[in-house]
This record gives sequence, C-alpha cells and structure tokens, in this order.
Amino acid sequence: MSILSMTKTLMKSVFHGPYTLLYPIKKKEVFEHTKGSIEIEVADCIHCGLCQRNCPTGAIQVDRNSANWSIDRLDCIQCYYCVESCPKKCLKMGNQYSAPAVKKVRDEFTNARVSGN
Amino acid sequence: MEMMILKIIAIIILAPILGGLIAGVDRIISARMQGRKGPRLLQPFYDVLKLLGKESLRVNKVHGLYIYLSFIFMILTTVLILSGGDILLAVFSLTLSSVMFILGGYASNSPYSTIGAERELLAVMAYEPMVILAAIGLYYINNSFLSKDIINSSVPAIAYLPAIFLGFVYILTFKLRKSPFDLSTSEHGHQELVKGITTEYSGKDLAVIQVMHWYETVIAMAFVYMFIATAAPISHLYAVIVCIIIYLIEILIDNSFSRVKWKLALKSAWIVTIVLGTLNLVVLQLTM
Amino acid sequence: MGERTVIPFGPQHPVLPEPIHLDLVLEDETVVEAIPQIGYIHRGLEKLVEKKDFKQYVFVAERICGICSFIHSLGYCLSVEKVMGIEVPERATFLRTMWSELSRIHSHVLWMGLVADGYGFESLFMHSWRLREQILDLFEETTGGRVIFSACEVGGVRKDVTVEQLQKIKSTMISFEKELQEITNVFLNDASIKSRTKGVGVLTKQMAYDLGAVGPTLRASGVASDLRSTGYAAYGKLNFEPIIETDGDCYARTAVRIRETFQSIDLVKQCVDMMPEGDVRVDVKGNPDGESFIRLEQPRGEVLYYTKANGSKFLERYRVRTPTFANLAPLLEMLKGCDLADVPVIVLSIDPCISCTER
Repeated sequence: MSILSMTKTLMKSVFHGPYTLLYPIKKKEVFEHTKGSIEIEVADCIHCGLCQRNCPTGAIQVDRNSANWSIDRLDCIQCYYCVESCPKKCLKMGNQYSAPAVKKVRDEFTNARVSGN
Repeated sequence: MEMMILKIIAIIILAPILGGLIAGVDRIISARMQGRKGPRLLQPFYDVLKLLGKESLRVNKVHGLYIYLSFIFMILTTVLILSGGDILLAVFSLTLSSVMFILGGYASNSPYSTIGAERELLAVMAYEPMVILAAIGLYYINNSFLSKDIINSSVPAIAYLPAIFLGFVYILTFKLRKSPFDLSTSEHGHQELVKGITTEYSGKDLAVIQVMHWYETVIAMAFVYMFIATAAPISHLYAVIVCIIIYLIEILIDNSFSRVKWKLALKSAWIVTIVLGTLNLVVLQLTM
Repeated sequence: MGERTVIPFGPQHPVLPEPIHLDLVLEDETVVEAIPQIGYIHRGLEKLVEKKDFKQYVFVAERICGICSFIHSLGYCLSVEKVMGIEVPERATFLRTMWSELSRIHSHVLWMGLVADGYGFESLFMHSWRLREQILDLFEETTGGRVIFSACEVGGVRKDVTVEQLQKIKSTMISFEKELQEITNVFLNDASIKSRTKGVGVLTKQMAYDLGAVGPTLRASGVASDLRSTGYAAYGKLNFEPIIETDGDCYARTAVRIRETFQSIDLVKQCVDMMPEGDVRVDVKGNPDGESFIRLEQPRGEVLYYTKANGSKFLERYRVRTPTFANLAPLLEMLKGCDLADVPVIVLSIDPCISCTER
C-alpha cells in the first residue's frame, strides 16, 4: 500500500522538459528504412506492368503505349511489393512521407526517351 | 457608498481573471508533469471565448435557467467573502449555488447527467460539514463572522486551528474537482459518465460553467488566505505564498492518484472531518 | 427491487478504445445485466481472400488489427506455409519470434496506458505511452513501419536485420526495463489503483474454463494455458514458462500482463543472443492446395487460423477466430453485480480488440 508513488517520475519530467516534439515546426528524423513513398527511375522502366498486377490496392497504372507510369499517392499502402516485383529494379522505397492532401493525388512519370519527342 | 460599488464591480471582474490565470498555470504544470508541453497560459480564456460563440442546445426551459441561478449565487459568494462580509452567509450561498447546479443536472433527464448529479450531491454531502466547521472555528477565535475582522486579528488563525486547516486542505480536492475526488465531472472527460453532470451543456451555458469554476477556485483560495493573514502587512505576503504552495500540492495530488469510488470518498471525507474538526474545536473550547 | 435504468455504453465513448455497444441495465449504480451489440466495424476482410491472390493477401491480413498486426500476418504466413509444405530458414523464424515478442511488449504497454486512463489516472497513461514510443522507434528502424510493418511474407521475412540494429535492440531493452520498473511499481502498489481493481470483476477458475476464456483473462484465474508452450516458430528453443495468478480479479489480470511484459523483454534478449546466420527467405513457386489449422498466442489470447486452398492462386476460405470473441462471454458474466464505476475497468481488463473480432 503506498500513495504518491508517482512523485519521483512526475518531478523528473518537470525538470527534464517536454518529451514531445514541436511538430510541424520541428520535423521528426526518419530512419533509413522508413517506408515513405515510392520513387521510380523512369528511364529504366520497360512498362511490363508487373507492378500494376501485383499491387494489392491497384494504385499503380502503367500504360505501354504512352510510356506512362503513374501512382495514386493516397491509395498506396507502402507495402513495397512493387519494388520487389520489378524485373529492372527501377522502383525504390523512399523515406519521406507524401504530404497530406484534400483530393486524390496521382503522380505521373513519362519516359521521354520512348515517347517519341 | 461609491467606493463600495466600485469595489464590488472590481471583485466581479477581476476574480474570474485571476481564476482563469490560475487554471492556465494549472494546465501547463500538469502537462509538464506528464511529459508534454502544455497549452498557452491564456488558453482557458480562449476556450471560453470559443464556447460563447457556439449554440446552446437546451433540452427544456429550465435546463439553462438553473445554471444562471447557480452563477448568480456564486458571484454573491465571491463578493461577500472578498469585500469583508459574513463568511457563514457566504458558505450558505455557496451551498445554494451547488444545489442549483445539481438541479440543473437532474433537469436534463439524460442518464449520464442524472448519475453525475447524484454523485455531485454525494460530493456536497462529503465536503459541507468541513467547510461549516472551518467557518465556526474562525468565528470562535475572532468572535465575528466578518472576513475583514478575521484577517485583522493579531495572531494568524492557523495558530489556533491547525487541524481544521489540514481538514480543509483535504476537502479542497473535492471543491477544485481534482483526482482522487473528481467523481461527478472532471476536466479530462475520460470517465464512464462521459462528462458527468456537465454532459448536456453546450455553448454559452458551458462557458458560464467554466467561469463559475474560476470563481470557485478564487473562493477556495480566499478561505486558505483567511487562515494565514493578520493585521501586519507582511502576513499577506506569507498568505499568498501559502496559497501558491497549497495549489501546487493539489496539482501534484491530482497527477498522482486515480479516481476513487464514491463510498470511499464519502467515508474518508467524513472521517477526516469528524476526527480533525471536532478534535480541534474541543481543544479550543478547553483552552480558551 | 429498485427502479431500473438503462445506460447506453458505447459505441463512441471516451473510455472505450474501439466501438462496442453495451446496454447496461442498472439498479441505483449496480449493474444487473449487460446486453452487447457488435458489428460496428465489420469490413468483410475474410471475403477479400477471393479477390487478392495468396501472396497479396498478407497485406490485408496484417491490417485486420493495428495492435496485433504482426501476429496476424505471421499466422497467415504460417498457415499457407503449412498447406504448401514450405520450410522457412531458421534466421527467419528467429526474426519473426523477435518481432512477435516486441509486438507483445508494445501491446501490453499500450494496454497499461489505456487502463490507467480508464480509472482517471492521466499522468500514468501519458508516461506509459512515452515508453511505448521507444518500441515503435525500434520497429521503424528495423522494418520501416511503426504499427503495420509488412515484414512477413509467405516463405520468410522481407528484410534482414544488421548486427548494429540487433545490438541497439538489446541495449534499448535493458534501458526500457529499468524505466518500466518505475511505472509498473505504481500499477501494482498504489493504494488508489488497488481500491479500484482488487476484488472487481472476479472470474473463478471453473467459470473461466466453462465460458471459454483465453489469454491473460484465463491465466489470471489460475489455468496455465499458453500456446507458446506448443513451440511454434522459434519458441521451442527459448526458455519460457506460462505466467499464472490465482485471484481472477482485475488486479490479477494487470499483474499477469505486467509480468508477461518483463518475460517478453527477456525472450527478446534471448532471441538476439541466439540469432543464427543464414538467409531470411525462400522462393515460393506454385499454388497452395489443402487445408491447415494452426493456433498462435496473441497478446490477448489464443487465436485460431483455418485455411482452405484448392490449387488456384486464390485461397478458398480463410477463417480467423480472435481471442476477444472468446472473451466476450466471460465479460458479460463479470459485469453482473458490479458498480457502474467498475464497468470501464472491467471492459478494459479483458483488453478488447473489437476490430480483430469483427474483421
């Protein structure tokens, strides 16, 4: 039976200062493997469509005719199954989160070398 | 006569400002104890301003009326104590304000606020005897119920009434609505009765409830002040320091205890009242 | 016989972490009976098995619940591997066990914060969750995600852990244990917490066994049943004993979970010490065909997985029976005869995870 048993912890936190981070003024540091958003080296992409077939949510759309590769940022669940299935290894998991948005955001990448201009 | 009216107006306006600043400091210190940063100092004022701009949903005609009646009696209590008036009348006016508040809780017919009102009634039963014993103890030493005579005596009241002072500090936890005795409505809102007795209030009524809580804080601190202050000017400084220390201890107690059930709260408050209160009065009777 | 009032408890309530509806029939602050309604968060995840192939479904399986997420994905992978007869490399089983035990620590510390909030002790809640942040940072460093890691796949784990990361895990565990001692000391010894939990929500040993309680709810009533003793994943090689208490009240359940947290810290240290070298995955070819039935130990109790596959790349049936579903019947028994003020403490003491229950 004891009372006031939290006093030591409480006094320690008063003198230590806040343990919380003043986000968004100070950003949290991310680690090397943090799953942020998918990045593509579009010059290496051969538009085979394996990433589109394997994506669990259908966020990736690949169009061979117009050499287009696009991803819906809010549908992506950062599972990086596409990174593992790409035969050319041109997809990468970057460690910065995509920003919050009020509408669906579709990021498009076109392969200038193949698209004919 | 004009001096008296100016004094009353100054009390009515300055007391909630002081109460709001005390509430702001309370939230910042509580947050630091929990490892967070805490809101800004003037946050309680911003909250009340936000609430004033919202719609008050009233269930029936008397639902909002009781809060305003309770508010009027609370202002009356503050004016009586701080302008040097009769403290026994002030204690009864405070009780009347609590009763109006409880009736407001019953008036809305919601299950959460009904049970919250029952618990508030139990809390009033728990702390009322001690407050009355404190008023009687202060009368005994000074032969007057008027607060301006109490603070003008030559010896501080705490020298004759140490046990009653301790008992009063014990029930201060009920009045200031802090754990472990914040049964009916707590500031955090994370309890089984949602917000207890204040669940059904919104908008301007809820703003009035917050301001009433600030007045109550000032009244509680004024009572503690009366135990220490004497005619010498330096004692007023000591009284303010003791008030600050007592409030900091209350914040520490708030963060160190969980909420207890009403049976334990009632039993412990009455045991403290009976033991400390009657002991002190009996000793005073025998020695004075 | 007093007058009866009915108080609706939930689905949105500040005390409940997840939506469940209980109609509490009260007689003057004593609960006479509780009538539950569930179904607020049913998402039809078991039907999605017909649309996502068996390799993609692991991402759906881990999203059944946020707190027990890794063990759901582990269960799915173990059941499909059992159907297909795949042998996973030893390093992968040790990594999976290490992450499971870290998940268990994370779940129990989160629960401790919630139950402290349930009895109005806000500062203890904030400090418990401050400790939990250290575990989440460990997860983010090794797997990339804080709550949903996507670390398991059919055939092994997807990411390997370096030697520096393993050393960091071990040193974090040692400092975490010291800080946890201060917090759990308050849970077990503080007088006001004891007044809220001792003798509240008593479940006798016979009743727990008859009603089918699982997990810490069962172990706090004196029945020594812990599925990690069956030795799935790497548990057969670790030193481990189930923890039991005999009182069966809320205090006993708190004590079981606290002691399990310290035991898990010890198991993580054992895993790091015994980590073998080697690959972390094997390639999986072909489609599953057959049935399997496995049982795992989640932080909340015993979870069953039944899988049926018929040779195509979509599984035919995937059924999960979660521990909170089994604990709902003992919960209704415990609520009879308690005070209204005890209801949040009792509901939180079975650690309800309704999103697992309703998938």
